[in-house]
Amino acid sequence: MLKPEKMVKIAIIGSKEQLAATSEILYKLNMLHIENPVEDEHFKIGVPFEKAGHISRTLLQIRSYISYLKLDPSRISVKKKFRKADIEEKLSAKLSEYQEQIGAKLEEIRRINETLKSIETEISNLEPLKIIGVPTKLLKDYKSIRCFVGLIKKDPTEELKKITSDFDLIIKEYEDLFVIAVFVKAEYGEEFFKVLQEYAFKELSVPDMEIDSRIAEIEKTKDELITKKGKLEADIEELKVKESELILAIEEHLSMEVEKAELPLKALTSKHTFVLVGYVPEKEIDRFKKEVGSRNLIVEQLDMDEHEIPPTKLKNPNFIKNFEILSKTYAVPKYKEIDPTFIMAIFFPIFFGLMLGDIGYGLLIVVLSLYLKRIFKTDGWQKLLNIGLASGIVSIIFGFIYGEFFGPFIVPGIKNPNEAHFFGDLLVGLYDFNHGHPLFDRVEEFGVKVLLFIVLIIGMIKMLWGFSMGFYNVYIEHGIKEAILEKGCWISGILGLFCIIFGFSYNLGIFTSPPHDGFGKILPENLYVFENTVKEARAVPLPIPGLVNGWEAGLNYFYLVALPLIVIWFLIFLKAEIPKMGVFGVIMAVELLTWLGQTISYARLLAIGLSSVYIAFVINYLSIKVALEPGMAIFPLAIIVMLLGHGVNFLLGILDPGLQSLRLHYVEFFTKFFEGGGKEYTPFGRVRKFIDEGGE
Amino acid sequence: MVEALIGDEAFIKGCAAIGAGLAVGLTGIGAGFAESGIGAAAVGAIAEDRGFLGIGLLFTVIPETIVIFGLVISFILMFAFG
Repeated sequence: MLKPEKMVKIAIIGSKEQLAATSEILYKLNMLHIENPVEDEHFKIGVPFEKAGHISRTLLQIRSYISYLKLDPSRISVKKKFRKADIEEKLSAKLSEYQEQIGAKLEEIRRINETLKSIETEISNLEPLKIIGVPTKLLKDYKSIRCFVGLIKKDPTEELKKITSDFDLIIKEYEDLFVIAVFVKAEYGEEFFKVLQEYAFKELSVPDMEIDSRIAEIEKTKDELITKKGKLEADIEELKVKESELILAIEEHLSMEVEKAELPLKALTSKHTFVLVGYVPEKEIDRFKKEVGSRNLIVEQLDMDEHEIPPTKLKNPNFIKNFEILSKTYAVPKYKEIDPTFIMAIFFPIFFGLMLGDIGYGLLIVVLSLYLKRIFKTDGWQKLLNIGLASGIVSIIFGFIYGEFFGPFIVPGIKNPNEAHFFGDLLVGLYDFNHGHPLFDRVEEFGVKVLLFIVLIIGMIKMLWGFSMGFYNVYIEHGIKEAILEKGCWISGILGLFCIIFGFSYNLGIFTSPPHDGFGKILPENLYVFENTVKEARAVPLPIPGLVNGWEAGLNYFYLVALPLIVIWFLIFLKAEIPKMGVFGVIMAVELLTWLGQTISYARLLAIGLSSVYIAFVINYLSIKVALEPGMAIFPLAIIVMLLGHGVNFLLGILDPGLQSLRLHYVEFFTKFFEGGGKEYTPFGRVRKFIDEGGE
Repeated sequence: MVEALIGDEAFIKGCAAIGAGLAVGLTGIGAGFAESGIGAAAVGAIAEDRGFLGIGLLFTVIPETIVIFGLVISFILMFAFG
């Protein structure tokens, strides 16, 4: 589970005539991840089979229909698979049928659209002519008179008068322009035209017949065309309903054929032979050899040397597979690396629930995920929604522990649960077994303190865990010495840091004071090196010499343990960095502070949750005040406040815990051990959706 | 007068509360500044390719750690003096 599947490198050798048959069998097996070949002087990359070009063209055509019909294979659930032989038999008949039924009709629709567009332009031309109010037969050039009809920006009369005053002009407003008709003697025609052009004149073409009858004629043609187009579209729609599965099956068949025909591009060929090199999962190798070897092909197992990078095939049980989309977003693990999906599958929902922790919001997430799962059928959505489902369930569990249902019912400072929550009494009744208190009250001060401590411990464990896995990864790749130099020293360093955090907490009295100030007597009262200084110790959280008088009072055993750990880290660190970086490598030691920051960063598990709890509480409190307070009883307003508030808080409650939980993995956890950069295992072949394998 | 105040417990509590508020508020502004640049770049990337949505959101929340530090400091202040 934690490691990707083991791969075996193989070569397949055969004579060139067998390449087509090999392509068929390999495609059917869907097992071989083929390496891209490198040419040399004897072996060249092959050429695709002859039929490839023809199939590609047909495929392109089918895909253009599919894109027009907006067919989405992921949204279609297959009722009956087609037999391959049937498809091959029907193929050419169906193709010409589609050409006729879809291709030709699409072409006609395109033409109709064009005509409609030109009709629209003509109508928009005729509108202004109507406004002028002059019969169209008069609006044209005469023997000795020029006539200009068109749209113009401004009234040009003044400018025209400068040329001659002997002209007629009709001007009317049309939208934000003017429509104009000018009649002038032909000899002034040129000059008038120039002036008009300066006013952005746009000529309108004048029809031969009367405008109204022309418009009526056009409208009639337009209606006819629209009816015709509607009929064509209905025809296509009818075909879509009837044939969509077959079209997609043909598309699948053709893409498979193209992929098969292009196999030679991944093979090295000499005059008579071909070689294919690739990887097969180790557990499948026997079946693979049996199937391929029986066809007069030679299957040779090759040795893998150190530098070779086989493809990564993640090996996870079904539930955990859902989380691969999250871990792959970060990177695909290298072949020899630990695959972190498993760890993520456990901790992502837990972190999410720990942050959100509300029965109501959790239930909403579960219901929403289940509902969306029925709508979005694609693989990615299904996986994402499964993650949502798991996270929602964990949120409900934590919600029960925290005692929250769309907000808390016990809040410091508010004595009556009914003032903090609409169902305050009901929730108190639910927790009757625990004296009306939640199992863990994270809103109260002591609860915050305990939770902060718990999440920091989780942080420490995950930091150590991350570094240990990093240690393992480096050990596998480069040996024990490198592992200690690169990762081991940091383990010692952060252990020292953790001791310092504990020492600090101890001095603050977390482990020794009774609840509300601390956890009670978890640890003995006196863990101080200088035993007579217990009383003053609280004043000095960090024993830094010179900082405070009597620093030795704060020196407890945690600090004493931390010191050698930090020294060990520093020495190993120097040994590792100085040869690489020179003396300035010392500066890199600052990185230890980064790890301190990252440990504290786990406090977000507490912080994000608390913020959402308080938002929920404020919404409840507000709406209760609005609804029930004397003189304020505006119930509908209270409902609006509540729906709006909880809606926003719910969205934040999905987004923030989700992102932060993801981030805690990517930034604080993966960086310790996970390098990624592997290539994914993509075998030659595909899982058929519309075509039945048995039919071959 | 100042010395008298320093000895006063209420004064210390008040200062701690102001400090806690400053710790959260100022770190919030800091994180906001940091996120503005990342957010703008992320939106740019998402406009080019919707596939960046997840990664873009993730990068945008990275500086939020600063607020968490502020919050931890404010908790410590409140625990110690509040």
